Amino acid sequence: MTLGLLSISWQVIVDSIGLGAVYALMAVGIGLVFGVLRLVNFAYGQLVMAGAYALAFASEWDLPLVVGIAFCFAVVIGLSLIMDVVVFRPLRAQSPAVMLVATFAVAFLLQSIALLAFGPLGKAASSLGSLNRPVTVGDVDIRKITIVAIIVAGICLLLLVLLLERTTMGLHMRAAAMDFRTARLLGVRADRVIGSAVLISALLAATVSVILTVQNPLVTPDFALRDTIVVLAGVVVGGMNRLLTATMGGFAIGFVSGILGGALPSDQSQYLPSFLFGLVILVLLVRPNGLFARGPGPVERV
Amino acid sequence: MSGRHLTQLAGPLGLIVVAALLGSVASNSTEIYFINALVAVAIVVAIYVFVGNSGVVSFGHISFVAVGAWTAGVLSVPVTEKPAIMQYLFPVLRDHTIGNVPSLLTAAAVGGVYALLVGLPLMRLSGLAAGIATFGVLEITHNLLRYYEKVGPGTNTFSSVPETTDLLQAAIGALLVIGVAFGYQSSRFGRLLRASREDPAAARAVGVSVYQQRLIAFTLSGVLAGFAGGLYVHLLPINSETVYLDLTFITLAMLVIGGMTSLWGAVVGALAVSGLDSLLAEAENGLTIGSLTIDLPAGTRLVIVGALMALVLILRPGGITGGREFRLDFLRRTHPPAPEEPTP
Amino acid sequence: MTDPMLSVTGLDVAYGGIAAVRDLSFEVGRGEIVGLIGPNGAGKSTTLNAIMGLVAPRAGDIRLAGTSIVGRKPEDVARSGIALVPEGRRIFADLTVEENLRLGYAARRDGDSAEADTDAVFELFPVVREFRSRHAGALSGGQQQQLAIARALVARPDVLLLDEPSLGLSPTVVDVVFDALARVRERGITVLLVEQRAQRTVALADRSYVIANGELRLTLTPADANDTAKMVAAYLS
Repeated sequence: MTLGLLSISWQVIVDSIGLGAVYALMAVGIGLVFGVLRLVNFAYGQLVMAGAYALAFASEWDLPLVVGIAFCFAVVIGLSLIMDVVVFRPLRAQSPAVMLVATFAVAFLLQSIALLAFGPLGKAASSLGSLNRPVTVGDVDIRKITIVAIIVAGICLLLLVLLLERTTMGLHMRAAAMDFRTARLLGVRADRVIGSAVLISALLAATVSVILTVQNPLVTPDFALRDTIVVLAGVVVGGMNRLLTATMGGFAIGFVSGILGGALPSDQSQYLPSFLFGLVILVLLVRPNGLFARGPGPVERV
Repeated sequence: MSGRHLTQLAGPLGLIVVAALLGSVASNSTEIYFINALVAVAIVVAIYVFVGNSGVVSFGHISFVAVGAWTAGVLSVPVTEKPAIMQYLFPVLRDHTIGNVPSLLTAAAVGGVYALLVGLPLMRLSGLAAGIATFGVLEITHNLLRYYEKVGPGTNTFSSVPETTDLLQAAIGALLVIGVAFGYQSSRFGRLLRASREDPAAARAVGVSVYQQRLIAFTLSGVLAGFAGGLYVHLLPINSETVYLDLTFITLAMLVIGGMTSLWGAVVGALAVSGLDSLLAEAENGLTIGSLTIDLPAGTRLVIVGALMALVLILRPGGITGGREFRLDFLRRTHPPAPEEPTP
Repeated sequence: MTDPMLSVTGLDVAYGGIAAVRDLSFEVGRGEIVGLIGPNGAGKSTTLNAIMGLVAPRAGDIRLAGTSIVGRKPEDVARSGIALVPEGRRIFADLTVEENLRLGYAARRDGDSAEADTDAVFELFPVVREFRSRHAGALSGGQQQQLAIARALVARPDVLLLDEPSLGLSPTVVDVVFDALARVRERGITVLLVEQRAQRTVALADRSYVIANGELRLTLTPADANDTAKMVAAYLS
């Protein structure tokens, strides 16, 4: 089908929706922690990497699928909790610039540790390989994993909305993201809210690592690094301050990335990062508070 | 006032001279570490000129190092050697070679122009948006340099660049960059920018154009970074990956560990981390001190430097120097220095 | 002899190097309304913030019914039975009125349902019931203030702290607020009221303390409410 000047197949559109779905999950993970801690976790991708390595080892040790996935979740949650205690909480009083550089440092540190521990060559996480096979709908080949990704993302987002809108903890989390100080004055427990946000964020990271290892079974220390950078850009472009806009930003950049990848002529395709980030910069210049943000953001931190 | 003020320069200059002297008496195999350290100083001070004075975090400065390296590299490779690694160059680049110093100056100029072009739109942003946008610049520059073979070696390594960055040149280069940085921060522009870092609203209220001041610093740091990139490409064979994420990380680590908000911090950080990194590199190759042999597995260096950077940021965000400039009165201890709030 | 509901002894609070509250001591008895009045920047808000654990005192003790609460986290102070209606109301504009109230339940100490308390605040502030499904941001300043007090009351606190509730409100709404405070006292809740409207506070409260420059200067009773000279002297001292 043609979209103006670009000729895009349904294949590309579906794949882009799939990518958008995965990125949306990552965006939620980043956005939740930002909401309660006002901290941008550059190292979020390393959680996904850790989960991927867990799956790779589970593969290597021939563990049953369910055990492997459980192991993956355990590793990601464990690492998340360590990050929270060692990095997030001490950093809470710092300026946004310091927090940004600090989580960048943690991201690099974790990647270096992985490089040291596991070497650069990578391991294979081949548990769910069958999901890579396509299903043919009409004249479009859709990989099963893309469908799984979209459905899983949809379910996760739905569950999250139910949690946030219908439960007390969800209400506390929303309030904490708006005005933590006042929320505490009303009795909202800071530890519990932060812990819940970190936990949910970890669950999402683990989910993402399961999905991504199906699409890219080779796990290297920089697994999901590129994706995290893109998702971060998407979250900032969408609007960091609200979970909804952050998630939309994550989905949008995933979708656009997929479409651009499919639409660029093959001799230009290696320039995808340039086009993508060029677009990101353009949007940031026009709407620094986020594409989907309504009105001016909170008092501009100059 | 200016006497005491100039003593701030003594520390950084002194350290460079000491490093250069130590390097000159070192063995041939260890001399390279000193040269590396001095080039690192040039890069880190270039980054500091913007990040330290404005308080805006930029992840994109290695782009200017890269652009400078590409410029100096492409222009310095002898014409006969160019086709080997750079087949598709623009004719004007392909058919000419220039000398070492002109290549460094051109690198500085190109770095500055690129920084100006990038800064014109970007300097309106701050905080998170600036961080992401400058990261985008890094990505775009890396992407372009890697694949656009008309301006450089693309995915190949810059292998035939004359290795003219010796100890003397690196030392002079570092001294030059420090001198310019000091001159800038002492100037009216530097002071205005630092005022806006501390209290942007107040600065605006008295008529300071924060945008303009940031743009000036950004462009200047691009000039210095481009120059440093020229030194770098003449030091060892580099490629598009060498001037990308790893270098971004380690130079930011150097700046943070030394102290983000002072020139002294930038210099101390660069030398200290380079020193540590070199020591660890030796240890990775098997190092014997007296009766003790240390043999670290490859990759430990990045872990240790990374851990240090994270620790410094969490425990002592001001870095080794606390963000303060060098002072001579520590020798006299007549009064304790007023603690400067390092608010990056 | 039973302990006073709230007692502050030798409180010393500083921001940076600047002392905001100096050696402040006072007591609030069970079921009393005590006023803290004084000029801007006198340290009244700081005192409330210190009680709630938002700022750590340099020295001094704060006791709730005889137990020291210094060093407790704000949410723990709230859960001990002290509720603060903060300066500027601080309601959650993007949440509904109902959700704002539900947040107030977080500090409740007994497990049984909050319906009785919710009904009670609806009776005190009918406008809150009327707007229950609207976003709190849609309410006027006066209505938001009523919501803020309602939100504090549904926690069924023993002590209610209010930081300048009448700020920016029209006289009619101020009447509603002060009437509500009187009825709150009737229910046995202890109230510590920080206010700029000296006269009304002094008239309502069992006792009012004048704070200036972080120190307690003068104690006034309702009888002094109409003594203009004394009031002026208190402020200018």
